[in-house]
Amino acid sequence: MLYTVNDSSITSNSLDSLVRFAPKGSPILFYEDGVYNTIAGSRDEKKVAAVLEDHPVFALDADLEARGIKKIIPGIQVIGYDGFVELVEEQDVAPWL
Amino acid sequence: MEKVMVLLRKAPYGSVYSAEAFRTIMGIAVFEMDICVGFADDGVYTIVKDQNPEKLDMKPLGDGFPMLADFGVSRFIVHKESLSERGLSTKDLVLEVETADSEQFSEIIEEYGRLLPF
Repeated sequence: MLYTVNDSSITSNSLDSLVRFAPKGSPILFYEDGVYNTIAGSRDEKKVAAVLEDHPVFALDADLEARGIKKIIPGIQVIGYDGFVELVEEQDVAPWL
Repeated sequence: MEKVMVLLRKAPYGSVYSAEAFRTIMGIAVFEMDICVGFADDGVYTIVKDQNPEKLDMKPLGDGFPMLADFGVSRFIVHKESLSERGLSTKDLVLEVETADSEQFSEIIEEYGRLLPF
């Protein structure tokens, strides 16, 4: 399953909850306010880096650009809407709202 | 002069709160009030530089804030810890701001007395 997150771990527990449930190796996509989880130097960078050890992590470029996010945590793969569609075609989706 | 503080605590684009806060500030600025704009929690993301929401078919929100000075709104306070825990500094922001720790921030809230929360 593709797990999707649309809010920031500083104000929501979605990411904490997600990592408890998502099996190792399942891809995770940050979109909408979820892209705030990608900021390098943020309080939760270590938490996100730990997630990266167990999961491929993606972030949607349109949402990064909208929010002016430039310095992202190494290892996170930036994708466009086309990449999003490919991920959704490859597997079912678990939106972790 | 009447005093009011507008407090932004939500991230832009994910909800309408930040855009509505901006509209409210514009709206009340014409009444020549002493307006202070505060940014805390995810609200600090509202004034991050280089926002480009073109692909979301939305207008950039941060760019409007520096122009508020033309309407007599010139006091902007940012909660220091909210900024630093998000990996940001005042250099990442679209305008010159005062920074305040939690205690100073709450003193400013008390000083203004009226709080419009977004």
